[in-house]
Amino acid sequence: MITLPSYLFVSFVLFACGLAVMIARKNIVAILLGIELILNAAALNFAAYTKFVNQNLDGHIISLFIIVIAAAEAAVGLAIVIRFYQIKESIHIDDATQLQS
Amino acid sequence: MFDQIFFILSAVLTMGGALAVVFTRNLMHACVFLLAALFGVAGLYATLNADFLAATQLVVYAGGVVILMLFAIMLTGGVQSGFNKFGIEKIPGMGNGKTFTAAIVAVVVMCFVIFKLLRNAVLIAPKGEMVNESTVEKLGTLLVTDHVLAFELSSILLLGALIGAAVIARPRHIKEDV
Repeated sequence: MITLPSYLFVSFVLFACGLAVMIARKNIVAILLGIELILNAAALNFAAYTKFVNQNLDGHIISLFIIVIAAAEAAVGLAIVIRFYQIKESIHIDDATQLQS
Repeated sequence: MFDQIFFILSAVLTMGGALAVVFTRNLMHACVFLLAALFGVAGLYATLNADFLAATQLVVYAGGVVILMLFAIMLTGGVQSGFNKFGIEKIPGMGNGKTFTAAIVAVVVMCFVIFKLLRNAVLIAPKGEMVNESTVEKLGTLLVTDHVLAFELSSILLLGALIGAAVIARPRHIKEDV
């Protein structure tokens, strides 16, 4: 029988992996990968609680908006990464220490 | 029975992909493992009766975000470990022992906090399950009735992100920068 805690465990593993990626990596694109994992964990939690606890579809709506915001964030983040690479010729996070070059 | 097998396959795909994203040393491989994890999450949505969410997840992530990530990786030097004007070993940046130690400490602390504070939320009593039917029609009705303001705001957000990304990433001439 599949219950709510099994979904919460999968979501927890996703969140922990995303946090570890965000802290351990020194590459800006890899940090964005970690952010995607964390957003997916949140959306999965919303869908799981919708099925097992309250049964109205508001959780699905919020998951949809999380997906939309993740897409917008990925587009803008990668544009910033490409612009940063044009200026600094590097995507190492420790090179991003000043707002104006 | 089929639901359980499908859930176990999706969960293994999701968790294996996420762990591989953490532990691989190649940025391109990490992106492909992220794709595997996102496919697993789409399978989990399918087991949760969220058919529209599963389709959206596949279209937006597999068709959009991961391809965009791969383009960004290849446009910013790929995975080769050449050296740039800041010295060698700056391009890959996939972490070292010190950063992984910090990450493991942070994850352990976060596990402790979550299990301590959110134990009651996990042990919430389920109130039965949803009936097994399509959610597309109800979701469309909800989006243009109860949540129409958020729907329109998200369209404005997407337009702003589109224009902002194009403006930020456009090539500039050297003379303008000086």
